[in-house]
Amino acid sequence: MQSSRISTWTGWTFSLIVILLGVVVFSLAVGAVDLPLRKAFFLLTKGQGTPEYTILFEVRLPRILLGFAVGGGLAISGVILQGMFRNPLVEPYTLGISGGAALGVCMNMVAGGSRILGPLATPISGFLGAVGVVFFVYVIGARGGGIRLSRLLLIGVMVSFMASSLIMLVMAVTKTEDLHGIIFWIMGSLEEPNSFLTRAVTFISLGGMVLSFLFAVDLNALSLGEEDAFHLGVEVERTKKFLFLIASILTGCCVAVTGIIGFVGLVVPHVMRLLVGGDHRILLVASYIAGAAFLILCDTLARVVIAPMELPVGVITGLVGGGVFVYALSRKGYSF
Amino acid sequence: MECPFWKFLTLSWKKKEGSGKKDMLRTLFAFAFFFVSFSHAFSFPSKAQDDSGRSLEILQAPGRIISLIPAATEQLYLLDAGDRIVGVTIYCQRPSQAQTKEKVGTVIDVNIEKIIELRPDLIIASPLTDHKQIRKLRGLGLRVETFDAPKDFHGLCESFLTLSRIIGKKRKAEEVLERTKRKLEAVREGIEGDAKARVFVQIGANPLFTADEGSFINDLIEYAGGINIAGDVNTGIFSREEVIKRNPDIILIVTMGIIGEREKETWFRYKTISAVKNRRIFTVDSYRVCSPTPVSFVETAKEMARMFHAKQ
Repeated sequence: MQSSRISTWTGWTFSLIVILLGVVVFSLAVGAVDLPLRKAFFLLTKGQGTPEYTILFEVRLPRILLGFAVGGGLAISGVILQGMFRNPLVEPYTLGISGGAALGVCMNMVAGGSRILGPLATPISGFLGAVGVVFFVYVIGARGGGIRLSRLLLIGVMVSFMASSLIMLVMAVTKTEDLHGIIFWIMGSLEEPNSFLTRAVTFISLGGMVLSFLFAVDLNALSLGEEDAFHLGVEVERTKKFLFLIASILTGCCVAVTGIIGFVGLVVPHVMRLLVGGDHRILLVASYIAGAAFLILCDTLARVVIAPMELPVGVITGLVGGGVFVYALSRKGYSF
Repeated sequence: MECPFWKFLTLSWKKKEGSGKKDMLRTLFAFAFFFVSFSHAFSFPSKAQDDSGRSLEILQAPGRIISLIPAATEQLYLLDAGDRIVGVTIYCQRPSQAQTKEKVGTVIDVNIEKIIELRPDLIIASPLTDHKQIRKLRGLGLRVETFDAPKDFHGLCESFLTLSRIIGKKRKAEEVLERTKRKLEAVREGIEGDAKARVFVQIGANPLFTADEGSFINDLIEYAGGINIAGDVNTGIFSREEVIKRNPDIILIVTMGIIGEREKETWFRYKTISAVKNRRIFTVDSYRVCSPTPVSFVETAKEMARMFHAKQ
């Protein structure tokens, strides 16, 4: 029994990794400019300095890396929060993280923070906004001892609404030149010129994966309900706090760099739960890989559909993700 | 702004340690390049310092230009440099020759791969171009010059001159400007002594959007012998009630396709406005107002002067 389960899990992990690699190769191969992939090896050795080399390794590859980190990070944040809240509608943005980040970025653009901090101003203000809002939600939600999850959720939703109203207020009084910066950021994009940020997010995302995997068994217990988890010997309050922190920081970092890319954190965990089952030990790993592959694929589509123009990646994640999800739900009896 | 670029350079050169002499040359080149682009970063955005123009002329005139601003595309043609353009945005429709050029995106969103493939020596970007994309292009070692949208005719001429210096066509630009200014003077003389018309400009509907004090259209109206009734506000959103209260003699709708006609209908409901009473509501082509060259500025001013001072 035990060994058959492990071999199934290995099978899933292996096939998902193969899919991920396939998507990466596909993403490298297509774009506005035609580049036959078999030239890649040649380029790698001799092609430095040619436009083809630059396109392949300095334009497409960094985007793939960022897609990997952010897709994976958002997907496991979704898994953690859905498991913890035992609510299928929760996703990383439900708790006001995206709203807070967007508000932070808006404020920064209006206040002209980039004159002082340069290109790092946007990610920093986004991260501060996200963390600030989550902290606010947490402090109020945890009032009176212990985190009451339903209350936390409601406060998160309300704070999101408040944040989006404030964003509209800021946008209404902003100059046109600043306005488009805000809109770009809200639409989300995997284009990030700063390679340091890409590397930092990749590192944080992988770290978050490892950390949350340590809590996989606790998450299994928590998804039975807090009381059952307590009787199974889980330190409920501490675990909830840790998980909440991991999910918030992961999402905050992803959002700060790429802007708001929706649907990854909602759809990927559900589809993976359909495929590999609800055990968080495999669900976390599978969701990470699938989330990465999904976002890279969506970004590739966004790049090529109306080339030379580019669609916001959120358009594709919403359409593809939503479509696949509805299809999957209609096919199989699925209960959360 | 230059910081990631610097990091990129140092990083990419650290990686390739080995054959000494070649490396040193590369490093030197990198430094030279860095220095040049650095000096640009400082001399460009502010127009006051552009006047020296010396650092610009040392550089060889760029032969492959990508223009991400429709107005700049048009200006390049005015400067007889249309054949050097290798890429434009999908909005670069004028002059008609520009339509045959390779499209690299829109004004705000460009395709980086396409740009790299075209191997440009110079990319002309606007502040509306996605900042991340500009930084990416600079990081890849391409020369990107951003031009702020001009606030008035003077600024327009300045940026026209700056552009001409960058591409080594200063003399041609001075010629064009000379002619233009003479024509503008003629427009001014034509309306001398006439009473100023009070004008409301509508750029957008829902919310009603107008041209504020810092905008280009404001200047255009003044040259045409009008007064912008919204000249004292500093954001463009304007209430319809305020328009009724300020009672303009003329309403000018900058067309956004079909919406222009519909907006005209809307205004006719407000019978107390003097512009409505005298049926002096006009539409202007948004191309001419929103993406100006010195030449088109004067033409538009002339046309407006005719609208404002038509004998009734």
